[in-house]
Amino acid sequence: MKKVLEGSQAVAEAVRLAKVQVISAYPITPQTHIVEILSDYVTSGRMNAKYLRVESEHSCMAALIGAQSTGVRTFTATCSQGLALMHELLHWASGARLPIVMGEVNRALAPGWNIWSDQTDSLAQRDTGWMQLYCEDSQEVLDTTILAYRLAERVNLPAMVVLDAFFLSHTYEPVDVPEQEEVDRFLPPYNPVFILDPKHPYSLSPLVTPNAYLEMRHDIALAMEDALAIFDEVEGEFARILGRRYGVVEEVNCDDADIIFVTSGTVTSTARLALEELRSRGEKVGALKIKLFRPFPVEAVRRALSKAWKVIVVDRNFSFGASGIFAQEVRAALCNAPGHPPVFGYIAGLGGRDITMQMLSDIYFEVKRSEAPRRESVWVGLQEVKRAT
Amino acid sequence: METPTALQNILYMPRTSTTTESNKTGSWRFLRPRYEEKTSPCSAACPAGEDIARIEMLITQGAFKEAWETILMENPLPGVCGRVCYHPCEGRCNRREFDAAVAIHTLERFLADAAARNETKPALPRQPATGRQIAIIGSGPAGLSAAWFFNILGYETEIFEAMPAAGGMLRWGIPAYRLPEAVLNAEIARIEAQGVRIRTGEAVSAARFEEMRKSYDALFLGCGYWRDRPLDIPGAAGPGVEDGLSFLREIRGGVKRDVPGLSAVIGGGNTAIDVARSIIRRGGRAIIVYRRRREDMPAFTEEVQSAREEGVELRELLAPVRIDAGGGDCVLTLQPMAIAGQDRDGRGKIVPAAEAPVTITVQRIFTATGAGAAAPWHNPPVPGAPGAICSLSHCVLLQDDRGAPVVYGGDLATGDKNVTQAIASGKQAALALDVFFRHGAGSMRERLASCLVGGGPSLSLEIYLGGPRRERNAHIVTYEEINADYFQYEPRVVQPRLLIEERHSSFDEIELKISAHTAMREAGRCFNCGICNGCDNCYLFCPDVSILRSRDMSDRHIDYEYCKGCGLCVVECPRNAMTLDEEGTP
Repeated sequence: MKKVLEGSQAVAEAVRLAKVQVISAYPITPQTHIVEILSDYVTSGRMNAKYLRVESEHSCMAALIGAQSTGVRTFTATCSQGLALMHELLHWASGARLPIVMGEVNRALAPGWNIWSDQTDSLAQRDTGWMQLYCEDSQEVLDTTILAYRLAERVNLPAMVVLDAFFLSHTYEPVDVPEQEEVDRFLPPYNPVFILDPKHPYSLSPLVTPNAYLEMRHDIALAMEDALAIFDEVEGEFARILGRRYGVVEEVNCDDADIIFVTSGTVTSTARLALEELRSRGEKVGALKIKLFRPFPVEAVRRALSKAWKVIVVDRNFSFGASGIFAQEVRAALCNAPGHPPVFGYIAGLGGRDITMQMLSDIYFEVKRSEAPRRESVWVGLQEVKRAT
Repeated sequence: METPTALQNILYMPRTSTTTESNKTGSWRFLRPRYEEKTSPCSAACPAGEDIARIEMLITQGAFKEAWETILMENPLPGVCGRVCYHPCEGRCNRREFDAAVAIHTLERFLADAAARNETKPALPRQPATGRQIAIIGSGPAGLSAAWFFNILGYETEIFEAMPAAGGMLRWGIPAYRLPEAVLNAEIARIEAQGVRIRTGEAVSAARFEEMRKSYDALFLGCGYWRDRPLDIPGAAGPGVEDGLSFLREIRGGVKRDVPGLSAVIGGGNTAIDVARSIIRRGGRAIIVYRRRREDMPAFTEEVQSAREEGVELRELLAPVRIDAGGGDCVLTLQPMAIAGQDRDGRGKIVPAAEAPVTITVQRIFTATGAGAAAPWHNPPVPGAPGAICSLSHCVLLQDDRGAPVVYGGDLATGDKNVTQAIASGKQAALALDVFFRHGAGSMRERLASCLVGGGPSLSLEIYLGGPRRERNAHIVTYEEINADYFQYEPRVVQPRLLIEERHSSFDEIELKISAHTAMREAGRCFNCGICNGCDNCYLFCPDVSILRSRDMSDRHIDYEYCKGCGLCVVECPRNAMTLDEEGTP
């Protein structure tokens, strides 16, 4: 049934439909609406779940690790500082192979204290062993959250569903909310490989010597590969029942494009409009939306970009001392493909500043005029600042 | 080789069904925490050495009887001391540095009142009978205290009291608005019920005393300072001049004499204050004349404050020089004094000021300038006198060939003359004589020194008897050693009091009762410095689950097989009841 929902509500609806059994969260703007709605669902009995209040995000993830180990489906949501505080336990969740799902609202890290959209918080967690799925609109948020459970539980790895602060979390859009019966058909009850059970006591994750650690890590690497391999199959099941699919990446007018934008999150929607405008002026431009960031879809990215002359990556994030993080990943994916196009990195919209159609159009023409990138990253829209003397 | 994948759902996960206890993390330790109770500053400041930190803990738990018994182990008169002790404990309370001292005296009084109301009988351990008999001369706080402790130590005790009722200065010297008669009677009745015999109306003369030295195994002389020190100025013996102590005794004896008009009280001690406040209650006005300054007065500050509230006028730096009678009035001539330097005791040294003398005309004059022993033989022997003399902090022991040993105690032997010091004196006498009888005079000082609270001078009976308090370190806990993060600001209890108007017309007790709920809340303010109150911070913070608790949660100990010596327990102990040593130190 179509409803007009905030992105936050779309997450909460998905969690309800996924029949999550334990929720734990610490409120933080702009994630708060998600857990407010869920706590209401739990209290009112709309969800048959336990809501654990905690004093920090660190404890929240610790609580979920314990809960998920007993064989129940769990959820949390956070952002920015909260996600950073979870860092240690993000590694633990993946190392312990617990398919926890998290709603991650992209928000800038302090200082300066900033509650607006910026991807650096989630991208800084890219090496924790969590799958990361970036969403463009609220429908995709709802669908991806449900899908994340199926995917995570298939490969025994945790997953983050990432949505832009305010642009998604606080913006109302029409969203098709599936029936419970439809979701149940797609998402069977969680069937854990192992559970902690007081009747058959054992302890998990004791000391592991160099003899075994390497193999444990290799298994996680394999599980990530598996996730990439089965993504289309899982999404196919979803599409069969619910009629929608997104792909690990989405190519927009890439077939004949000379220059291709690479985007993620809500900027993709802006890029779609910019493309329409540029195409109407005869420009051969395309866009590649990256949905699945971990595991990184190297083959799909190569396939989409290798025919282009130039690639533009627009990053709403930055790895200090290096470059935009999506740009790094794209360069890494392309570098072993012979004759690959040059990658132009652009940094824009940090801390919630708007990325406009005009901005994308200006970038396009600048790249079209350039033989090769002048530097790794070009910062867009930098203003004069007054500095203290 | 086929690559195993996670999709086969065979996770390569470390898990063990054997206990992780095989990893004895205790071997990593180089710092060793241990439970070690320490001494609270209040208990060390209490002349009776009461285990205050523990008493407040027991109140918090609602264990009022046990709390009361804990007092009785060290002090037989909590109902008295909860009212009239100057509570030096509160002056040393670590909580002062946080917000305000715990109202220790209010809680002591609460426990005594609760026990009296419920007619609670204390269950105190009594040592096996020694077969020895002790005669005690005087039933004031020193004599009652000596009898109480002798009794617990297994001695037969008999108190000889010259007055018709027991209590000494408690009965005849302290006004009823501070110490109601019923309270005193209840305390004395309990001491008697414990087996102490009190023979009232039996004055002991010097000759009788010498006879008693032949028939008893030891004597305790605690007959106090009963003779008023006369004012040595012209007219002091004239009409209209009375002795303050006698006035107080007369009131407690039931004489209802009004003292209308203006009376002058000469002196700066507690007796002067008591006399002035009694005058107010007998329909008069009172003016206290003191030759030093207000801050030099030996009277307790709170008493001076109450007297001022009730309308007593205080004139300082005026020394009486003569008294003239005239037309039914007294004319008191006073020399203004000035401060010139400091006396040896730290008070301002006074000298006559250049100003001319002033006079005040009053209806009568009460003197309260100090007291002395009623008879010279009451005074302890001075060094050089015949016999073996042992001077302790609160009593003097004489052993000679005239008979049984004698202990001089109470006001006769203490520096500060007040109730709690008298109680300390009685306790010291009992312990000293017990050591004397069991181990001889030679080991007295050493054995008494091992029973000091926090290094002294207070003695503890519980320590003497080898109770749990003996394990405590004498180190006195400082505020810096308290983990104040675990406490919240909480106002000190305000004891309800009679209105000023109500006080003018009666000798009713001024300070009123508090409820059990209020007492428990006030006791909850106590840091319980140095003692374990079972807060379990150690248990909660231990990352190695190495704090083991007994089944009834009363006892905790450390499992050194697994304790890594991180020291969290010691740091998080709010009250310094734990100690961290370097491994290998003795």
